[in-house]
Amino acid sequence: MPFSPPSSHLYGSIKLEAASAKLHKHGRKSLYEALNLVAYIDMMTMLVIFLLMSFSASGEILFVQKNIVLPDAQNWTDLERAPVIAVSTEVVTLDGKQMATMDQLMQENTSGDFKIPELYDLLVTAKNNYKLLHPNEPFTGVAIVQSDKNVEFKALRKIMFTAQVAGYNNVNFAVAQKSKSGGGG
Amino acid sequence: MGVSIQTGGGGGKKPLNADLNLVPYIDLLTCMVAFLLITAVWTQLARLQASQKGQGQAGEEVPPEQQVNIVVVVNQDGYNLVVGQDQTPIPKKGDQYDVEKLGGELKKVKDAHPDKNDVKVASEDQIKFDTLVRTMDTVLTARFPHISLIDTGAAGI
Repeated sequence: MPFSPPSSHLYGSIKLEAASAKLHKHGRKSLYEALNLVAYIDMMTMLVIFLLMSFSASGEILFVQKNIVLPDAQNWTDLERAPVIAVSTEVVTLDGKQMATMDQLMQENTSGDFKIPELYDLLVTAKNNYKLLHPNEPFTGVAIVQSDKNVEFKALRKIMFTAQVAGYNNVNFAVAQKSKSGGGG
Repeated sequence: MGVSIQTGGGGGKKPLNADLNLVPYIDLLTCMVAFLLITAVWTQLARLQASQKGQGQAGEEVPPEQQVNIVVVVNQDGYNLVVGQDQTPIPKKGDQYDVEKLGGELKKVKDAHPDKNDVKVASEDQIKFDTLVRTMDTVLTARFPHISLIDTGAAGI
C-alpha cells in the first residue's frame, strides 16, 4: 500500500459534492448559510397572540387550593381585592390561616349564635386596617368566600353570619368562569 | 443595522431584493413571550354577588310595585318557587335539580313583574354549595340581578 501525504478526504461512497468541493478548494461559496427564520417568527407571533388573549391586567387575585373544587357559573363578575375565606371540606381559612375545622362548623348550635370567634376577630382586624390605610375611601364590606362545591349550606351560613356581624355585608362567592354563550348575562 | 436595498446600479446585474433585519423583531417577540408567560393567569376565576338581606330589612323603602316577594326555596325534594302567595313546587329530575324548569318559571315571573329585580334564595342546611351556585346562576340568567342567600327559616314561608 503506497503512502500518501495527509490531507482532507472523504470516503468514496459518500457523495457530498458541496462538502467535497469545499474540502478540495474547488467551491467558491462561503460555508455560512442564512437560517430561515420565517417559521420561528410565525410560532413566536402565535404564542404572543395566545398569551395576550389570556392576559389579565389585575393579576391573580385568588389562588385555588388543591382541596377546593369551585363550582361553575355563567353570570359572573370580575374579582376584586378583598379578604378571602377559603372553605374546604375539612377546614376554613382566612388568607391562609386556619380559623375552624369543618367538624366544629357542623356541630349543632342551640344558642343561635353562629359566630366563629377566630374568624370574626381577624375580619374585624382586617376591616380596621383597611380603614386606617384608606381613610378617604368608604369601606365596601366585600369578602370573598372560596368554597368547595361539596360544602353544605350549614357551614356556609355560619361563615356568612360571621362576616356580616364583622361588617362584611357584601359576601361574594368565588366561581370558575363558564362561557356565557348560552346565557343572557 | 437596517434594510439594505441593492439598487441594481452599475450595469443592472444586481437584483432589487432586500434582506430585512429580523433581529430586533425577534428580540421584541422573545421579551414579550417571557413577560406574558410570567404574568399569565391560567385559572379564570370570577365571583357571584349575593347579599344576606332577610325579610323586612330595616330602613328600606320598598315601592308598591316591588312588594311582591319572590323566593326560591331549595330543599331536599327540589325547588319551590314562591311568588307572593303562590307556590310552584319544582321536584327533582331523578337525582338532579330541575334548573331548566326553574329558569322557565322565573322567566314567566320576570315577564309578569318586569320591575322586580330581587330574588331571595332560601336554602336548607344540607344543600350543597354547587346546587346553590347553579340556582343563583339560573336566577341571574332570568334577569334578577339582586340575589339574597338566606336560610329557609329567615324566608318566612
